[in-house]
Amino acid sequence: MKKHDLIPFFTVLLSLVLGIVVIALLGKNPFLAYYNLLQGSGLAPKASYAGHKGMITDFTSFLNALTPMLLASLSVLIALKAGLFNIGVSGQMLAAAFVATVLVGYSELPAVLAKPLVILIGLTVGALVGGLVGYLRHRFNINEVVSTIMCNYIVQFVASFFINVFFVDPVSRQSKNIGAASRLTLVDTVVGDYKMDIPLGILVAAAAVAATVFLLGKTTLGFEIKAVGSSSRAAEYAGIRVGRTRVLAMMLSGGAAGLAGVTYYLGYFCSMQPRVLASTGYDAIAVALLGNSSPIGIIFSSFLITVISKGSTYMSSTAGVQAEMAAALTGIILLISACGAYVRERLDRWKENR
Amino acid sequence: MSDYIIEMNHITKRFPGIVANDDVSIQVKKGEIYALLGENGAGKSTLMSMLFGMYEPDEGEIIIRGEKVKIASPNHATRLNIGMVHQHFKLVSNYTIAENIVMGMEPVKKHFGIFKTLDQKRANEEIRALSEKFGLEVDPTKVIENINVSMQQRVEILKMLYREAEILIFDEPTAVLTPQEIEFLLEIIESLRRDGKTIILITHKLEEIKKIADRCAILCRGKLIDVLDVKETDTKTMANLMVGREVNFSVDKPEPEYGREILKVEHLTVQNEDKFEVVKDVSFSVRGGEIFAVAGVSGNGQVELADAVAGLLKPSGGSITLNGKDITHAAIRSRNLEGISYIPEDRQNVGLVMDLSLSDNLALKNYFMPPFSRGSVIAGEAFTRYSDELIEKYDIRSGQGSETVVRSMSGGNQQKAIIAREIELDSSLLIFVQPTRGLDIGAIENIHRQIVEQRNKGKAVLLISLELDEVMNLADTIGVIYNGRIEKIADAGTLTPGEVGEFMMGVGGRHEKA
Amino acid sequence: MNTIIIDGLSFALPLFIMAIGGIYCERSGVTNLAIEGLQGFGAFCGALFAVCIAPYFAGDSPVPFYLAMVFAFLGGTLFSLLHAMLCIRFKANQVISGVVINILAMSLTEFMTKQINASIFKAASNKFVLGVSARVTVPGISSVPVLGAVFTNLYPFEPVIALIAVIAWYVLYRTPFGLHLRACGDNPHAVDAAGIEVGKVRLIAVLVSGALSGLGGICFAYSISANFSSNIYSGYGYLAIAALIFGNWKILPTLGACLLFGFARSGGYELVKILEMPSSYQDLVMVLPYVLTLLMLVFFGRKNHSPRALGVIYDKGAR
Repeated sequence: MKKHDLIPFFTVLLSLVLGIVVIALLGKNPFLAYYNLLQGSGLAPKASYAGHKGMITDFTSFLNALTPMLLASLSVLIALKAGLFNIGVSGQMLAAAFVATVLVGYSELPAVLAKPLVILIGLTVGALVGGLVGYLRHRFNINEVVSTIMCNYIVQFVASFFINVFFVDPVSRQSKNIGAASRLTLVDTVVGDYKMDIPLGILVAAAAVAATVFLLGKTTLGFEIKAVGSSSRAAEYAGIRVGRTRVLAMMLSGGAAGLAGVTYYLGYFCSMQPRVLASTGYDAIAVALLGNSSPIGIIFSSFLITVISKGSTYMSSTAGVQAEMAAALTGIILLISACGAYVRERLDRWKENR
Repeated sequence: MSDYIIEMNHITKRFPGIVANDDVSIQVKKGEIYALLGENGAGKSTLMSMLFGMYEPDEGEIIIRGEKVKIASPNHATRLNIGMVHQHFKLVSNYTIAENIVMGMEPVKKHFGIFKTLDQKRANEEIRALSEKFGLEVDPTKVIENINVSMQQRVEILKMLYREAEILIFDEPTAVLTPQEIEFLLEIIESLRRDGKTIILITHKLEEIKKIADRCAILCRGKLIDVLDVKETDTKTMANLMVGREVNFSVDKPEPEYGREILKVEHLTVQNEDKFEVVKDVSFSVRGGEIFAVAGVSGNGQVELADAVAGLLKPSGGSITLNGKDITHAAIRSRNLEGISYIPEDRQNVGLVMDLSLSDNLALKNYFMPPFSRGSVIAGEAFTRYSDELIEKYDIRSGQGSETVVRSMSGGNQQKAIIAREIELDSSLLIFVQPTRGLDIGAIENIHRQIVEQRNKGKAVLLISLELDEVMNLADTIGVIYNGRIEKIADAGTLTPGEVGEFMMGVGGRHEKA
Repeated sequence: MNTIIIDGLSFALPLFIMAIGGIYCERSGVTNLAIEGLQGFGAFCGALFAVCIAPYFAGDSPVPFYLAMVFAFLGGTLFSLLHAMLCIRFKANQVISGVVINILAMSLTEFMTKQINASIFKAASNKFVLGVSARVTVPGISSVPVLGAVFTNLYPFEPVIALIAVIAWYVLYRTPFGLHLRACGDNPHAVDAAGIEVGKVRLIAVLVSGALSGLGGICFAYSISANFSSNIYSGYGYLAIAALIFGNWKILPTLGACLLFGFARSGGYELVKILEMPSSYQDLVMVLPYVLTLLMLVFFGRKNHSPRALGVIYDKGAR
């Protein structure tokens, strides 16, 4: 293990310290607030629980929130490996979830058919949107950052239009809830004394992580993706079809985003809000950077970021710190990890000079 | 007060891993042409970069006109009337000649007494006057990207003169010029000296030193070896001092035994990214056992020609045949499999994936085949085994063997890795573009030996080089390219360097026709 | 017809001023994807200041609005310092830095808006209410057919933007500083050799971009949304980037692109109104600029050349 692999830890530490300062300045107890984050994520016991609830139910619901985050970060990571910046994860998530909701979520299909179908649709739609971005880059040289952002807005408003016109629930002003059969989270399942949410999606996420490790380390496509990502000109020279590799990488990235979308909107939630994109897609960038762009690394980093965001509600109700503090903290972590490359370079230089 | 205009005493400069200058002292008189001679990496450029304020020496002192100075920046050097023409020109490609020259010291006019505006007209007039004064005619309104290298060099010289430089440093000024352009440049340098300028010439070309320099300091591996009076020393002595051992100027090469025709290029036309025709109606063929060398000044289409044969550029007309098979429109991968090895000009951006390991780079062209992978699953241990073998065989030095990230390797070893990979492909055609650029003499000899070895094995070699010496030494057949056209193809023995130079300028063979 | 021009201009001009900032930044060689975050943070600073001083002024006084513009300008500058630091000092990847700044701006301003509302104004709100700034009509010339619409119902920020745009054009193309700035985006080594500090020029360029983005942001806050909330992040910054790419990193063609966006949008809204469609159809109109951007890039993107040194970290030592 090389020394500068510790940089992410220092990044997190520094951010948490900054968070402590800010919370203290607001006149609240920072340590209580952080402890609340753990409690809210089911990693520490709360003072009291409602009926049929406990630490374990908090934890499964934490896993429920972790699933889309992990998948979204994988999506960012795969694109990054190919030298592409997928900022459109949120849009790809919504597109996949929207299609899955309309086709399966509102249908009468039995669970055994509906659930796999939701996953399959999520994967396919995400891959298609991602593939489109890759194709635009390949064929028309449109920077993927611009095109993914444009796609985000297009998906957001088009989905919003259809939800408002055809699928709106007049009370919640969101899309109508999907049927339990197609939902990827088993809600309020009675296990012993508890009623818990069991996220089936976490299995999908685990499989996706394993598949990504294998893809990047053990396949020719993974080799090609890495070569294109490090130097597209050298890759082309070596006979690798750069455009095709980029399109494939974006399809894989989009596929992972699609999976994130269905586990988010058809798992963690059961409806979609018009005109709103999930922040998961953006947080995933932080997670991927923090995870040092390695599939194993992002397991840890997505865990951390999810603790912060999932626990924030409980923190806000108990310690009285605004829940938005969580997002701000994530932003700070992201900022500091962006400086990581510089710190790394400095460390290397320092070592050389010694 | 000494009679030296520049004194650099006991200069030492260290970079991570190397000592670039080790206790070097030189003294330059006003009005002389002082040459710095040495191999690549001998520390000539570093020494001059310190005089020009780009680095600060770790030890030692610099005295200009009798005063001890600490030159903190190029700006400071400019104030001390020191100017430098860098090896890589520092020009803004989409600006006019005048804009490039005046940048940083612009003539301004004021509107209504407050709004400062760049005075384009005055800039043009000043530059025109300046260029006429020194016999370096340029059109100040021309844009840099539309003028040739030799003209760009004039712009660099004018930049120094505009800043009233008295001490002019030239870093390898002739590397990119044709023999005729070199002739002209040397005349300019002489005339600048007559105007009272002091000139420092960094070079590794002995003839130039012999021609114009007064004195010559020889550097080898960061140390000053000797300072010689050029008039009284012969080139052979200088060469041996420079390398620190006997130099063999020519390459041992048996008489060629030509085999069948391997590469055939017919009426090839290639456009660059801007749809500009850079290779025009080029035809030639290369046989097995033959080194076909393309001579030409930089930017005359030779790199695009190589790219087109290797498949990196799509031809717009004509055909390319390899081993009797039409590959004009074949994909790069299939050309490689058909038998093309390509050592590209740009090692770091094209030849290697700098952030991957050495073993990945050595298998960059066959990672998808057994034993490196089965189906589409990669066998990591085959990579390591193969690269260990090549590291041994080609003496590639690196920090952590197969696992070394290529970026951290030295330029010479990076080139060794590329050549190892390409030779091991056992292709029938090897394309070398500028294979020895920036390498030291030892590495150059080694690469020349390998090129000849491949030719002796019956491979076809297409060599593209800007170094006329390299072409003359290695070629069996010479093709001279000028402005995208092959002007002349002839047996190497039948041409003199001077004749090749004329064809490189597009004026070859004129007197024959007349 | 007149509404299309009036609304189109009030959308296009703030976009244009942000795009000019982007042109400054990118022509100096620093990729700027941070415009979205910069305009939001600028608008936040302006809005916060306006809300704080509002009690001291009459309800219809234009003073808070002008002061808000000044503070948005300063706020954007301040936040862009972060981008400058990351890109120039820390040599971070400029694309990553831009994205980071956008996310940070979004989360920070959202948090601070809520926190400030809760602790200072004792209100549980996630927005600062600003209202729409008063509009002016230039007498006389506004009655000219078609062209007159340009001078009708103007937001006060529109002439300000026009003036700044002219100055920005002049500085970029006519002054020695502009010459240095554009050179930095083509060959920073040449600039360095001419004795000009590349880092300093780029710093100023990034700060200009931040200032102009902040200005654009507060204009949107005072016109389209009438408040400051997270709604400010609806992609204006990215539209500005699309406009400047489409405008080939030149100021005048970029103005054309911005006008096109503006008129496409106002035209679409007008259409929804004329055809008496329900308001949910506005969502389809909202899609227009984005689809247009993609299409324009598909058709024209290839011809454009980005500044040669764009996104390349300048390292003095490297040659």
